[in-house]
Amino acid sequence: MAQIDLRSVYIEFPIYDVSKRSLKKDFLRIATGGNVAQDVNSHVIVSALKNINLSFKQGNRVGLIGHNGSGKSTLLRLLAKIYEPTQGQINISGHISPMLDIALGIELEFTGYENIYIHGTLLGLTKKQINNQLHTIAELSGLGDYLAMPVRTYSSGMKVRLAFAIATSIQPDILLIDEVFGAGDAEFMQRARQKMISLLKQSNIVIMATHSDELIKEFCDQALLLESGEVKYFGPVDTALEIYHKKSE
Amino acid sequence: MSTKQEVIHSISETTMDIMIPVASQKQLAFEDFTDGIKKWRIWLLLAYQDIKLRYRRSILGPFWITMSMAITVYSMGYLYGHLFHIPIQEYFPYLIAGMLGWSLLSTTVTELVDTFSLSQVMLKQIKLPYSLYVHRITAKNMIIFFHNLLVMIPLIFFQTNIKMDWHLLLLLPGLLFIYVNAICYGIVLAMIGARYRDIPQIIKSFITVIFFVTPIMWKLDILPPDKQLIVLLNPFYSFIELLRGPLIGYTPHVLNFIIVSAITCIGMVLCYVLFSAHRARIIYWL
Repeated sequence: MAQIDLRSVYIEFPIYDVSKRSLKKDFLRIATGGNVAQDVNSHVIVSALKNINLSFKQGNRVGLIGHNGSGKSTLLRLLAKIYEPTQGQINISGHISPMLDIALGIELEFTGYENIYIHGTLLGLTKKQINNQLHTIAELSGLGDYLAMPVRTYSSGMKVRLAFAIATSIQPDILLIDEVFGAGDAEFMQRARQKMISLLKQSNIVIMATHSDELIKEFCDQALLLESGEVKYFGPVDTALEIYHKKSE
Repeated sequence: MSTKQEVIHSISETTMDIMIPVASQKQLAFEDFTDGIKKWRIWLLLAYQDIKLRYRRSILGPFWITMSMAITVYSMGYLYGHLFHIPIQEYFPYLIAGMLGWSLLSTTVTELVDTFSLSQVMLKQIKLPYSLYVHRITAKNMIIFFHNLLVMIPLIFFQTNIKMDWHLLLLLPGLLFIYVNAICYGIVLAMIGARYRDIPQIIKSFITVIFFVTPIMWKLDILPPDKQLIVLLNPFYSFIELLRGPLIGYTPHVLNFIIVSAITCIGMVLCYVLFSAHRARIIYWL
Protein backbone atom coordinates (compact mmCIF):
# COMPACT_ATOMS: atom_id res chain seq x y z
CA MET A 1 0.00 0.00 0.00
CA ALA A 2 1.40 3.32 -1.02
CA GLN A 3 1.12 6.01 1.58
CA ILE A 4 2.77 9.31 2.40
CA ASP A 5 2.66 11.06 5.76
CA LEU A 6 4.14 14.42 6.58
CA ARG A 7 4.21 15.64 10.16
CA SER A 8 4.97 19.31 10.81
CA VAL A 9 7.57 19.40 8.08
CA TYR A 10 9.66 22.50 7.55
CA ILE A 11 12.12 23.19 4.78
CA GLU A 12 14.44 26.12 5.23
CA PHE A 13 17.09 27.14 2.78
CA PRO A 14 20.13 28.96 4.03
CA ILE A 15 21.17 31.51 1.45
CA TYR A 16 24.90 31.96 1.73
CA ASP A 17 25.56 34.69 -0.75
CA VAL A 18 23.23 37.28 0.78
CA SER A 19 25.56 38.59 3.39
CA LYS A 20 23.58 41.18 5.30
CA ARG A 21 20.15 42.57 5.83
CA SER A 22 19.86 44.60 2.76
CA LEU A 23 17.59 46.08 0.21
CA LYS A 24 17.66 42.74 -1.53
CA LYS A 25 16.27 41.10 1.54
CA ASP A 26 13.55 43.67 2.00
CA PHE A 27 12.65 43.13 -1.59
CA LEU A 28 12.51 39.38 -1.03
CA ARG A 29 10.17 39.89 1.88
CA ILE A 30 7.76 41.85 -0.25
CA ALA A 31 7.99 39.47 -3.17
CA THR A 32 7.55 36.23 -1.25
CA GLY A 33 5.23 37.36 1.48
CA GLY A 34 7.54 37.42 4.46
CA ASN A 35 9.35 34.10 4.26
CA VAL A 36 12.79 35.44 4.71
CA ALA A 37 14.41 35.29 8.11
CA GLN A 38 17.92 35.09 9.47
CA ASP A 39 19.57 32.27 11.38
CA VAL A 40 22.07 32.42 14.25
CA ASN A 41 25.03 32.61 11.94
CA SER A 42 23.32 35.57 10.28
CA HIS A 43 22.70 33.61 7.13
CA VAL A 44 19.54 34.60 5.40
CA ILE A 45 17.03 31.77 5.56
CA VAL A 46 14.16 31.24 3.20
CA SER A 47 11.37 29.06 4.55
CA ALA A 48 10.18 27.19 1.53
CA LEU A 49 7.74 24.99 3.44
CA LYS A 50 6.26 25.74 6.84
CA ASN A 51 4.54 23.32 9.16
CA ILE A 52 3.18 20.94 6.56
CA ASN A 53 0.89 18.21 7.90
CA LEU A 54 -0.46 16.00 5.17
CA SER A 55 -1.41 12.44 4.37
CA PHE A 56 -1.75 10.97 0.93
CA LYS A 57 -3.30 7.53 0.64
CA GLN A 58 -3.63 4.84 -1.97
CA GLY A 59 -5.70 6.08 -4.91
CA ASN A 60 -5.26 9.80 -4.24
CA ARG A 61 -4.86 12.02 -7.28
CA VAL A 62 -3.68 15.33 -5.94
CA GLY A 63 -3.24 18.52 -7.91
CA LEU A 64 -0.77 21.04 -6.48
CA ILE A 65 -1.72 24.66 -7.05
CA GLY A 66 -0.26 27.94 -5.94
CA HIS A 67 1.62 30.94 -7.23
CA ASN A 68 5.21 30.89 -8.33
CA GLY A 69 7.40 30.42 -5.29
CA SER A 70 4.59 29.02 -3.16
CA GLY A 71 6.57 25.82 -2.60
CA LYS A 72 5.08 23.41 -5.15
CA SER A 73 8.39 22.24 -6.58
CA THR A 74 9.99 22.12 -3.15
CA LEU A 75 7.17 19.92 -1.88
CA LEU A 76 7.62 17.59 -4.85
CA ARG A 77 11.36 17.42 -4.25
CA LEU A 78 10.72 16.71 -0.60
CA LEU A 79 8.47 13.82 -1.59
CA ALA A 80 11.11 12.65 -4.07
CA LYS A 81 13.50 12.47 -1.09
CA ILE A 82 15.83 15.00 -2.65
CA TYR A 83 15.37 17.44 0.22
CA GLU A 84 15.25 16.07 3.71
CA PRO A 85 13.08 18.10 6.07
CA THR A 86 14.93 20.59 8.26
CA GLN A 87 12.30 19.89 10.91
CA GLY A 88 9.50 17.39 11.21
CA GLN A 89 9.11 13.94 9.85
CA ILE A 90 8.23 12.37 6.59
CA ASN A 91 7.18 8.81 6.04
CA ILE A 92 6.85 7.30 2.62
CA SER A 93 5.90 3.73 1.89
CA GLY A 94 6.01 2.82 -1.76
CA HIS A 95 8.35 3.49 -4.63
CA ILE A 96 8.66 7.07 -5.79
CA SER A 97 8.72 7.81 -9.51
CA PRO A 98 9.62 11.45 -9.93
CA MET A 99 8.97 13.23 -13.21
CA LEU A 100 10.27 16.57 -12.09
CA ASP A 101 12.36 17.53 -15.05
CA ILE A 102 11.70 15.42 -18.09
CA ALA A 103 14.84 16.68 -19.77
CA LEU A 104 16.97 15.08 -17.03
CA GLY A 105 20.06 13.48 -18.47
CA ILE A 106 19.23 14.43 -22.05
CA GLU A 107 22.64 15.01 -23.55
CA LEU A 108 22.70 17.01 -26.78
CA GLU A 109 25.78 15.39 -28.28
CA PHE A 110 24.39 11.88 -27.95
CA THR A 111 21.88 10.21 -30.21
CA GLY A 112 18.28 9.57 -29.25
CA TYR A 113 19.01 5.89 -28.67
CA GLU A 114 21.99 6.64 -26.43
CA ASN A 115 19.85 9.03 -24.42
CA ILE A 116 17.26 6.33 -23.93
CA TYR A 117 19.96 4.07 -22.49
CA ILE A 118 21.36 6.79 -20.24
CA HIS A 119 17.99 7.71 -18.79
CA GLY A 120 17.02 4.08 -18.37
CA THR A 121 20.23 3.41 -16.47
CA LEU A 122 19.63 6.44 -14.26
CA LEU A 123 16.26 4.97 -13.34
CA GLY A 124 18.05 1.79 -12.34
CA LEU A 125 17.22 -0.42 -15.31
CA THR A 126 19.61 -2.96 -16.81
CA LYS A 127 20.52 -2.97 -20.47
CA LYS A 128 18.17 -5.86 -21.07
CA GLN A 129 15.23 -4.11 -19.46
CA ILE A 130 15.91 -1.04 -21.55
CA ASN A 131 16.07 -3.09 -24.73
CA ASN A 132 12.65 -4.48 -23.92
CA GLN A 133 11.23 -0.97 -23.71
CA LEU A 134 13.17 0.50 -26.58
CA HIS A 135 10.49 -0.22 -29.14
CA THR A 136 7.68 1.34 -27.08
CA ILE A 137 9.73 4.46 -26.41
CA ALA A 138 10.72 4.81 -30.04
CA GLU A 139 7.11 4.43 -31.12
CA LEU A 140 5.75 6.93 -28.63
CA SER A 141 8.32 9.52 -29.57
CA GLY A 142 7.46 9.06 -33.24
CA LEU A 143 10.96 10.16 -34.16
CA GLY A 144 11.79 7.19 -36.39
CA ASP A 145 15.24 7.39 -37.95
CA TYR A 146 16.01 10.60 -36.10
CA LEU A 147 16.66 8.49 -33.01
CA ALA A 148 20.01 7.50 -34.50
CA MET A 149 20.97 11.18 -34.85
CA PRO A 150 22.52 13.40 -32.18
CA VAL A 151 19.88 15.23 -30.17
CA ARG A 152 21.44 18.60 -31.02
CA THR A 153 20.06 18.19 -34.55
CA TYR A 154 16.50 17.98 -33.19
CA SER A 155 13.99 20.79 -33.22
CA SER A 156 12.76 21.87 -29.79
CA GLY A 157 9.48 20.05 -30.33
CA MET A 158 11.34 16.86 -31.17
CA LYS A 159 13.44 17.18 -28.03
CA VAL A 160 10.29 17.41 -25.95
CA ARG A 161 8.91 14.33 -27.68
CA LEU A 162 12.02 12.33 -26.95
CA ALA A 163 12.21 13.53 -23.36
CA PHE A 164 8.56 12.80 -22.79
CA ALA A 165 8.75 9.33 -24.32
CA ILE A 166 11.77 8.48 -22.19
CA ALA A 167 10.41 9.97 -18.98
CA THR A 168 7.08 8.21 -19.24
CA SER A 169 8.59 4.78 -19.85
CA ILE A 170 8.15 3.83 -16.22
CA GLN A 171 5.82 1.73 -14.13
CA PRO A 172 5.00 4.24 -11.43
CA ASP A 173 3.86 3.53 -7.91
CA ILE A 174 3.86 7.04 -6.47
CA LEU A 175 4.04 9.44 -9.38
CA LEU A 176 5.28 13.01 -8.88
CA ILE A 177 4.78 15.34 -11.82
CA ASP A 178 6.02 18.89 -12.20
CA GLU A 179 4.52 20.67 -15.21
CA VAL A 180 5.27 17.91 -17.66
CA PHE A 181 2.82 18.82 -20.36
CA GLY A 182 4.97 20.72 -22.79
CA ALA A 183 5.00 21.67 -26.41
CA GLY A 184 4.55 19.35 -29.33
CA ASP A 185 2.35 19.24 -32.37
CA ALA A 186 -1.33 18.33 -32.18
CA GLU A 187 -0.83 14.73 -33.20
CA PHE A 188 1.85 14.17 -30.58
CA MET A 189 -0.17 15.92 -27.88
CA GLN A 190 -2.94 13.43 -28.50
CA ARG A 191 -0.58 10.49 -27.98
CA ALA A 192 1.11 12.15 -25.03
CA ARG A 193 -2.27 12.64 -23.43
CA GLN A 194 -3.17 8.99 -23.79
CA LYS A 195 0.19 7.96 -22.39
CA MET A 196 -0.25 10.28 -19.42
CA ILE A 197 -3.75 8.96 -18.73
CA SER A 198 -2.49 5.40 -18.73
CA LEU A 199 0.39 6.39 -16.44
CA LEU A 200 -1.98 8.13 -14.06
CA LYS A 201 -4.23 5.07 -14.02
CA GLN A 202 -1.32 2.76 -13.22
CA SER A 203 -0.07 4.86 -10.34
CA ASN A 204 -1.21 4.31 -6.80
CA ILE A 205 -0.70 7.92 -5.79
CA VAL A 206 -0.33 10.87 -8.13
CA ILE A 207 0.84 14.31 -7.06
CA MET A 208 0.88 16.78 -9.90
CA ALA A 209 1.93 20.41 -9.90
CA THR A 210 0.46 22.46 -12.69
CA HIS A 211 -0.88 25.89 -13.52
CA SER A 212 -3.58 24.46 -15.76
CA ASP A 213 -7.05 24.34 -14.19
CA GLU A 214 -8.28 22.00 -16.92
CA LEU A 215 -5.64 19.39 -16.15
CA ILE A 216 -6.43 19.46 -12.47
CA LYS A 217 -10.16 19.22 -13.05
CA GLU A 218 -9.68 16.37 -15.44
CA PHE A 219 -7.10 14.26 -13.64
CA CYS A 220 -7.29 15.04 -9.95
CA ASP A 221 -9.83 14.29 -7.28
CA GLN A 222 -8.19 16.51 -4.69
CA ALA A 223 -6.27 19.73 -4.78
CA LEU A 224 -3.68 21.16 -2.45
CA LEU A 225 -3.37 24.92 -2.43
CA LEU A 226 -0.02 26.21 -1.22
CA GLU A 227 0.64 29.79 -0.27
CA SER A 228 4.04 31.06 0.89
CA GLY A 229 5.04 27.56 1.83
CA GLU A 230 1.96 26.81 3.88
CA VAL A 231 -1.04 24.67 3.17
CA LYS A 232 -3.88 27.07 2.46
CA TYR A 233 -6.44 24.47 1.53
CA PHE A 234 -6.54 20.73 0.92
CA GLY A 235 -9.73 19.19 -0.35
CA PRO A 236 -12.06 18.99 -3.33
CA VAL A 237 -10.72 20.43 -6.56
CA ASP A 238 -13.47 22.96 -7.22
CA THR A 239 -13.29 24.60 -3.82
CA ALA A 240 -9.51 24.78 -3.99
CA LEU A 241 -9.55 26.43 -7.39
CA GLU A 242 -12.22 28.85 -6.22
CA ILE A 243 -10.11 29.95 -3.25
CA TYR A 244 -7.05 30.16 -5.45
CA HIS A 245 -8.71 32.42 -8.01
CA LYS A 246 -10.49 34.54 -5.44
CA LYS A 247 -7.10 35.24 -3.93
CA SER A 248 -5.56 36.35 -7.20
CA GLU A 249 -8.34 38.81 -8.03
CA MET B 1 24.51 29.63 33.25
CA SER B 2 25.91 26.75 31.29
CA THR B 3 22.50 25.08 30.99
CA LYS B 4 21.08 28.27 29.58
CA GLN B 5 23.76 28.31 26.95
CA GLU B 6 22.99 24.73 26.10
CA VAL B 7 19.35 25.57 25.62
CA ILE B 8 20.21 28.37 23.29
CA HIS B 9 22.55 26.09 21.46
CA SER B 10 19.95 23.38 21.02
CA ILE B 11 17.42 25.88 19.72
CA SER B 12 19.82 27.05 17.08
CA GLU B 13 20.55 23.44 16.23
CA THR B 14 16.93 22.67 15.55
CA THR B 15 16.62 25.44 13.03
CA MET B 16 19.64 24.22 11.12
CA ASP B 17 19.73 20.49 11.57
CA ILE B 18 17.45 17.55 11.23
CA MET B 19 15.40 16.37 14.17
CA ILE B 20 15.91 12.72 13.30
CA PRO B 21 17.92 10.74 15.89
CA VAL B 22 21.67 10.53 15.35
CA ALA B 23 21.66 6.77 14.88
CA SER B 24 19.40 6.96 11.87
CA GLN B 25 21.62 9.62 10.27
CA LYS B 26 24.55 7.22 10.55
CA GLN B 27 22.48 4.49 9.04
CA LEU B 28 21.42 6.74 6.17
CA ALA B 29 25.04 7.67 5.51
CA PHE B 30 25.99 4.01 5.46
CA GLU B 31 23.13 3.23 3.12
CA ASP B 32 24.35 5.99 0.84
CA PHE B 33 27.74 4.22 0.65
CA THR B 34 26.35 0.80 -0.08
CA ASP B 35 23.79 2.17 -2.52
CA GLY B 36 26.57 3.99 -4.31
CA ILE B 37 28.42 0.74 -4.83
CA LYS B 38 25.28 -1.15 -5.84
CA LYS B 39 24.47 1.43 -8.48
CA TRP B 40 27.80 0.87 -10.30
CA ARG B 41 25.96 0.69 -13.59
CA ILE B 42 25.00 4.34 -13.28
CA TRP B 43 28.34 5.83 -12.31
CA LEU B 44 30.30 3.72 -14.72
CA LEU B 45 28.01 4.83 -17.53
CA LEU B 46 28.22 8.48 -16.46
CA ALA B 47 32.00 8.28 -16.15
CA TYR B 48 32.27 6.74 -19.59
CA GLN B 49 29.84 9.32 -20.93
CA ASP B 50 31.93 12.18 -19.51
CA ILE B 51 34.98 10.96 -21.38
CA LYS B 52 33.11 10.23 -24.57
CA LEU B 53 31.43 13.60 -24.50
CA ARG B 54 34.69 15.49 -24.30
CA TYR B 55 36.12 13.88 -27.39
CA ARG B 56 33.02 13.39 -29.48
CA ARG B 57 33.55 14.30 -33.14
CA SER B 58 37.33 14.23 -32.79
CA ILE B 59 39.19 11.63 -34.80
CA LEU B 60 41.46 10.31 -32.07
CA GLY B 61 38.64 10.39 -29.54
CA PRO B 62 39.67 9.61 -25.97
CA PHE B 63 43.18 8.91 -27.23
CA TRP B 64 43.69 12.63 -27.27
CA ILE B 65 44.23 12.19 -23.54
CA THR B 66 47.09 9.82 -24.30
CA MET B 67 48.46 12.09 -27.02
CA SER B 68 48.64 15.21 -24.89
CA MET B 69 50.13 13.22 -22.05
CA ALA B 70 52.78 11.76 -24.39
CA ILE B 71 53.71 15.18 -25.73
CA THR B 72 54.06 16.59 -22.22
CA VAL B 73 56.14 13.81 -20.72
CA TYR B 74 58.48 13.19 -23.62
CA SER B 75 59.32 16.83 -24.15
CA MET B 76 59.70 17.36 -20.42
CA GLY B 77 61.75 14.19 -20.06
CA TYR B 78 64.18 15.16 -22.78
CA LEU B 79 64.77 18.63 -21.40
CA TYR B 80 64.89 17.89 -17.68
CA GLY B 81 67.00 14.78 -18.16
CA HIS B 82 69.73 17.06 -19.49
CA LEU B 83 69.00 19.67 -16.86
CA PHE B 84 69.47 17.22 -13.99
CA HIS B 85 72.31 15.35 -15.75
CA ILE B 86 70.51 12.03 -15.51
CA PRO B 87 70.89 9.60 -18.45
CA ILE B 88 67.74 9.69 -20.59
CA GLN B 89 67.39 5.88 -20.32
CA GLU B 90 67.04 6.24 -16.61
CA TYR B 91 65.14 9.51 -16.44
CA PHE B 92 62.39 8.83 -18.99
CA PRO B 93 60.84 5.85 -17.18
CA TYR B 94 61.10 7.59 -13.81
CA LEU B 95 59.51 10.82 -14.97
CA ILE B 96 56.83 9.20 -17.11
CA ALA B 97 55.67 6.76 -14.45
CA GLY B 98 55.69 9.57 -11.91
CA MET B 99 53.72 11.87 -14.19
CA LEU B 100 51.12 9.16 -14.85
CA GLY B 101 50.61 8.78 -11.12
CA TRP B 102 50.60 12.52 -10.58
CA SER B 103 48.05 13.27 -13.28
CA LEU B 104 45.75 10.63 -11.80
CA LEU B 105 46.06 12.08 -8.30
CA SER B 106 45.94 15.75 -9.17
CA THR B 107 42.98 15.64 -11.56
CA THR B 108 41.09 13.37 -9.19
CA VAL B 109 41.59 15.75 -6.27
CA THR B 110 40.79 18.94 -8.20
CA GLU B 111 37.70 17.42 -9.80
CA LEU B 112 36.44 15.83 -6.60
CA VAL B 113 36.24 19.17 -4.81
CA ASP B 114 33.71 20.35 -7.39
CA THR B 115 31.75 17.10 -7.51
CA PHE B 116 28.58 18.26 -5.78
CA SER B 117 28.58 21.83 -6.99
CA LEU B 118 28.92 20.73 -10.61
CA SER B 119 26.33 17.96 -10.29
CA GLN B 120 23.73 20.17 -8.66
CA VAL B 121 21.30 20.00 -11.57
CA MET B 122 21.15 16.24 -11.29
CA LEU B 123 21.22 16.24 -7.51
CA LYS B 124 18.11 18.42 -7.46
CA GLN B 125 16.15 16.36 -9.95
CA ILE B 126 16.70 12.76 -8.99
CA LYS B 127 17.42 10.95 -5.76
CA LEU B 128 20.69 9.10 -6.14
CA PRO B 129 23.29 8.38 -3.47
CA TYR B 130 25.78 11.20 -2.98
CA SER B 131 28.63 8.70 -3.09
CA LEU B 132 27.57 7.81 -6.62
CA TYR B 133 28.77 11.18 -7.91
CA VAL B 134 32.14 10.65 -6.24
CA HIS B 135 32.42 7.22 -7.83
CA ARG B 136 31.64 8.83 -11.17
CA ILE B 137 34.56 11.26 -10.97
CA THR B 138 36.97 8.66 -9.58
CA ALA B 139 36.03 6.04 -12.15
CA LYS B 140 36.43 8.59 -14.93
CA ASN B 141 39.94 9.43 -13.81
CA MET B 142 40.82 5.76 -13.47
CA ILE B 143 39.71 5.15 -17.05
CA ILE B 144 41.82 8.10 -18.17
CA PHE B 145 44.77 6.65 -16.25
CA PHE B 146 44.50 3.42 -18.21
CA HIS B 147 44.42 5.40 -21.45
CA ASN B 148 47.54 7.19 -20.32
CA LEU B 149 49.38 3.96 -19.61
CA LEU B 150 49.89 3.63 -23.37
CA VAL B 151 52.42 6.43 -23.06
CA MET B 152 54.74 3.84 -21.52
CA ILE B 153 54.88 1.70 -24.66
CA PRO B 154 57.63 3.63 -26.54
CA LEU B 155 59.87 3.16 -23.48
CA ILE B 156 60.18 -0.54 -24.29
CA PHE B 157 61.83 0.31 -27.62
CA PHE B 158 64.02 3.05 -26.16
CA GLN B 159 66.44 0.63 -24.46
CA THR B 160 65.53 2.06 -21.13
CA ASN B 161 66.09 -0.01 -18.03
CA ILE B 162 62.35 -0.42 -17.58
CA LYS B 163 61.18 -3.87 -16.56
CA MET B 164 57.68 -4.90 -17.46
CA ASP B 165 57.41 -7.88 -15.14
CA TRP B 166 55.49 -9.24 -12.17
CA HIS B 167 55.89 -5.89 -10.46
CA LEU B 168 53.02 -4.68 -12.64
CA LEU B 169 50.73 -6.79 -10.47
CA LEU B 170 51.54 -4.46 -7.60
CA LEU B 171 49.73 -1.76 -9.54
CA LEU B 172 46.46 -3.33 -8.42
CA PRO B 173 46.81 -2.73 -4.67
CA GLY B 174 48.12 0.74 -5.46
CA LEU B 175 45.11 1.61 -7.58
CA LEU B 176 42.79 0.04 -5.04
CA PHE B 177 44.25 2.22 -2.29
CA ILE B 178 43.86 5.29 -4.48
CA TYR B 179 40.27 4.37 -5.31
CA VAL B 180 39.26 3.88 -1.68
CA ASN B 181 40.98 7.11 -0.68
CA ALA B 182 39.39 8.98 -3.57
CA ILE B 183 35.95 7.90 -2.37
CA CYS B 184 36.55 8.71 1.31
CA TYR B 185 38.39 11.98 0.89
CA GLY B 186 36.30 12.74 -2.19
CA ILE B 187 33.10 12.81 -0.18
CA VAL B 188 34.73 15.05 2.41
CA LEU B 189 36.26 17.37 -0.19
CA ALA B 190 33.08 17.53 -2.24
CA MET B 191 31.09 18.45 0.88
CA ILE B 192 33.54 21.17 1.87
CA GLY B 193 33.67 22.38 -1.72
CA ALA B 194 29.89 22.62 -1.87
CA ARG B 195 29.60 24.50 1.41
CA TYR B 196 32.58 26.84 1.13
CA ARG B 197 33.10 27.88 -2.45
CA ASP B 198 36.56 29.30 -1.81
CA ILE B 199 38.01 25.93 -0.87
CA PRO B 200 38.09 24.50 -4.42
CA GLN B 201 40.08 27.54 -5.55
CA ILE B 202 42.52 27.15 -2.67
CA ILE B 203 42.99 23.45 -3.35
CA LYS B 204 43.50 24.04 -7.04
CA SER B 205 46.26 26.54 -6.40
CA PHE B 206 47.90 24.32 -3.79
CA ILE B 207 47.99 21.32 -6.08
CA THR B 208 50.46 23.12 -8.37
CA VAL B 209 52.74 23.68 -5.41
CA ILE B 210 52.50 20.03 -4.39
CA PHE B 211 53.68 19.04 -7.86
CA PHE B 212 56.95 20.85 -7.33
CA VAL B 213 57.57 19.68 -3.77
CA THR B 214 56.89 16.02 -4.57
CA PRO B 215 59.61 13.93 -6.22
CA ILE B 216 58.15 13.60 -9.69
CA MET B 217 60.49 15.62 -11.86
CA TRP B 218 63.38 15.18 -9.44
CA LYS B 219 64.60 12.21 -7.47
CA LEU B 220 64.46 11.85 -3.73
CA ASP B 221 68.17 11.03 -3.42
CA ILE B 222 69.35 14.42 -4.74
CA LEU B 223 67.95 15.88 -1.52
CA PRO B 224 70.30 15.95 1.51
CA PRO B 225 69.40 13.04 3.86
CA ASP B 226 68.24 15.29 6.67
CA LYS B 227 65.73 17.00 4.34
CA GLN B 228 64.33 13.75 2.96
CA LEU B 229 61.99 13.43 5.92
CA ILE B 230 59.97 16.39 4.63
CA VAL B 231 59.25 14.44 1.47
CA LEU B 232 58.34 11.28 3.35
CA LEU B 233 55.72 13.23 5.26
CA ASN B 234 54.13 14.29 1.98
CA PRO B 235 51.33 11.76 1.42
CA PHE B 236 51.33 12.38 -2.32
CA TYR B 237 54.85 10.96 -2.48
CA SER B 238 53.75 7.61 -1.02
CA PHE B 239 50.75 7.39 -3.32
CA ILE B 240 52.91 8.10 -6.36
CA GLU B 241 55.51 5.56 -5.26
CA LEU B 242 52.76 2.95 -5.09
CA LEU B 243 52.16 3.46 -8.82
CA ARG B 244 55.64 4.40 -10.02
CA GLY B 245 57.37 1.36 -8.54
CA PRO B 246 55.19 -1.26 -10.24
CA LEU B 247 55.25 0.65 -13.53
CA ILE B 248 59.01 0.75 -13.90
CA GLY B 249 59.81 -2.48 -12.11
CA TYR B 250 60.62 -2.10 -8.45
CA THR B 251 58.72 -2.79 -5.24
CA PRO B 252 57.69 0.33 -3.35
CA HIS B 253 59.15 0.67 0.13
CA VAL B 254 57.15 -0.86 2.99
CA LEU B 255 57.04 2.57 4.57
CA ASN B 256 55.00 3.85 1.64
CA PHE B 257 52.44 1.12 2.18
CA ILE B 258 52.28 1.91 5.88
CA ILE B 259 51.79 5.63 5.29
CA VAL B 260 49.11 5.01 2.68
CA SER B 261 47.30 2.53 4.94
CA ALA B 262 47.34 5.02 7.79
CA ILE B 263 45.99 7.77 5.53
CA THR B 264 43.28 5.41 4.29
CA CYS B 265 42.16 4.64 7.85
CA ILE B 266 42.03 8.32 8.76
CA GLY B 267 40.10 9.02 5.57
CA MET B 268 37.52 6.35 6.29
CA VAL B 269 36.87 7.62 9.80
CA LEU B 270 36.82 11.26 8.73
CA CYS B 271 34.47 10.52 5.88
CA TYR B 272 32.12 8.47 8.04
CA VAL B 273 31.95 11.09 10.78
CA LEU B 274 31.53 14.12 8.52
CA PHE B 275 29.25 12.41 6.05
CA SER B 276 26.84 11.08 8.66
CA ALA B 277 26.75 14.48 10.34
CA HIS B 278 26.17 16.61 7.26
CA ARG B 279 24.83 14.36 4.51
CA ALA B 280 21.27 15.65 4.81
CA ARG B 281 22.45 19.25 4.51
CA ILE B 282 24.44 18.89 1.30
CA ILE B 283 21.49 19.55 -0.95
CA TYR B 284 20.77 22.81 0.86
CA TRP B 285 24.27 24.05 0.19
CA LEU B 286 23.91 23.86 -3.56
